[in-house]
Amino acid sequence: MAAIELDGVTKRYGEVTAVSDLSLSVPEGAVFGFLGPNGAGKSTTINMLLDFVRPTDGTVRVLGRDAQDESVDVRRHTGVLPEGFDVYGRLTGRKHVEFALDSKEVDGDPDALLDRVGLADAAERKAGGYSKGMRQRLALAMALAGDPDLLVLDEPSSGLDPQGAKEMREIVRAEAERGATVFFSSHVLGQVEAVCDRVGILRDGQLVAEDSIDGLRDAVGGEETLVVTVDAASDEQLAAVRALEGVAGASTDGGTVTVSCDPDAKTAVIGALEEEGVTVTDFQTEEASLEDLFLAYAGDETAAQREVSR
Amino acid sequence: MSWQVVARKDFEDAVRSRWLIALTAFFVLLVGAVVFVVRPAPGETVSSSQVLNSLFIKDALVTTLVPLIALVTAYNAVVGERSSGSLKLLLSLPHSRSDVVFGKVLGRSAAFATPVVVGFLLPGIVLALGPLQFDPVAFLGFTLLVVLLGAAFVSIAVGFSSATASHRLAVAGAIGIYFLFVPLWGAIQFPLQLYFGMGGGPAWLPLTGTEVLRFLRLLNPTGSFKILSGAFLGDQLFASDVLRLHVAALSMLVTWLLVPPLLGYVRFESADL
Repeated sequence: MAAIELDGVTKRYGEVTAVSDLSLSVPEGAVFGFLGPNGAGKSTTINMLLDFVRPTDGTVRVLGRDAQDESVDVRRHTGVLPEGFDVYGRLTGRKHVEFALDSKEVDGDPDALLDRVGLADAAERKAGGYSKGMRQRLALAMALAGDPDLLVLDEPSSGLDPQGAKEMREIVRAEAERGATVFFSSHVLGQVEAVCDRVGILRDGQLVAEDSIDGLRDAVGGEETLVVTVDAASDEQLAAVRALEGVAGASTDGGTVTVSCDPDAKTAVIGALEEEGVTVTDFQTEEASLEDLFLAYAGDETAAQREVSR
Repeated sequence: MSWQVVARKDFEDAVRSRWLIALTAFFVLLVGAVVFVVRPAPGETVSSSQVLNSLFIKDALVTTLVPLIALVTAYNAVVGERSSGSLKLLLSLPHSRSDVVFGKVLGRSAAFATPVVVGFLLPGIVLALGPLQFDPVAFLGFTLLVVLLGAAFVSIAVGFSSATASHRLAVAGAIGIYFLFVPLWGAIQFPLQLYFGMGGGPAWLPLTGTEVLRFLRLLNPTGSFKILSGAFLGDQLFASDVLRLHVAALSMLVTWLLVPPLLGYVRFESADL
């Protein structure tokens, strides 16, 4: 049985189509990374899994149940870390976790859950005084309450420092080992590559790729990342590079230019850069990383967003 | 029961609000002041029921302040969580949207009851110790009726709060509800009363002027409350000759308790959050 099954799902808000004819199947026990730039429709999709939002068309099934008609039952077996949520500022961290346990009608030790997400010391404090990262951890503790069959994490690393993001990955791994299915969205790729065994890439409301990470690498073919060290380069100068055949994407931070391309396109890339007046001092190639896949699938505008999010 | 879990959480949250704490203090002071004002002169005996039934408590204090406190406590119940985002946390847990609406009605009613019960209890103790003839049954019964009236306004506010996605609209709604039921209603009723009293009548209606006035009185939760509490304190509640009126008043309060949240829920259920 698939843990998540979307079939021909479309969601329109008036004239705007947030998700378009999306079909997706996440097998039980998988750790599924749901990738895409901001505004691609990731949160809308997640909101449809939880019945926060109803599809205009198509069917959504979660844990073998209809996501709309049997939503309470779905959520009884699902732990959720929502996006754009807020805590109850006047209630303590422990109260929040107790509320989650009571709501799921399960016994559990709130302190153990808080300890697991690194909030043991803040259990007695009102959540209104928590930082963004602590709120994120608190919601994760609530999600983990009752050992859910499915974890739905919407941008789980946002607000977390690198240490927090690492702990988040460890929890995801531990939950997967326990047998839970994990579905999480991200526009930051480092975290996804390290924990996911399957990845779906969403762009403009459409699934542009769905595969294992190895499968995606193969699908992109022998594409490589060419890292060119230059004296100075601007984004405008990359237009010529992007126009080349065999180039999937290009970005620059000023001192280096990163291009994902076919191996045979390398010479043309260097040539195009020099033609634009950029002095190439050095270059090297790297094996395709998920970052490059993302670049290839999700388009160039995400490169800028990725810089901002770091 | 899921809606009770929601209600308990909501009560614990709302009761910690500074607003509610301030309202409690205000209410205690006010009831205390009224009790002081209507205290018996030396040699006179006044019963606690008379105090409660006085113009000060029943009309000025309860029917103008209770709706206000109830609306302040509840107007933000659902829409506040919707705009802050805590609703996402709440609905990530296995609660249906009806659990949320009706849990909120219960939780906020309990939160509303706190200042009222404390506000009546403290002066009640003073009354019991002081010069008044204290009737604890009447006192408790009256407090319960006040809670019922407040709960009706909480229900109206929660219903409105569930139906709208806009925080501003919820504030405007609460203000509108207050003005409709408190000052405006009286302003409409009074000239009508004069008009009908002078022999005018709605010829186009199959009702007499008295019936229209009675209906207007019943329709307003504060009017139904006054009918019930006045009769209760006068030991006339559900007396045979006024039984129908009292049952109607009680039914009206229960209707206000149930229908607005139900309507709000219907809107809320179909909304994209």
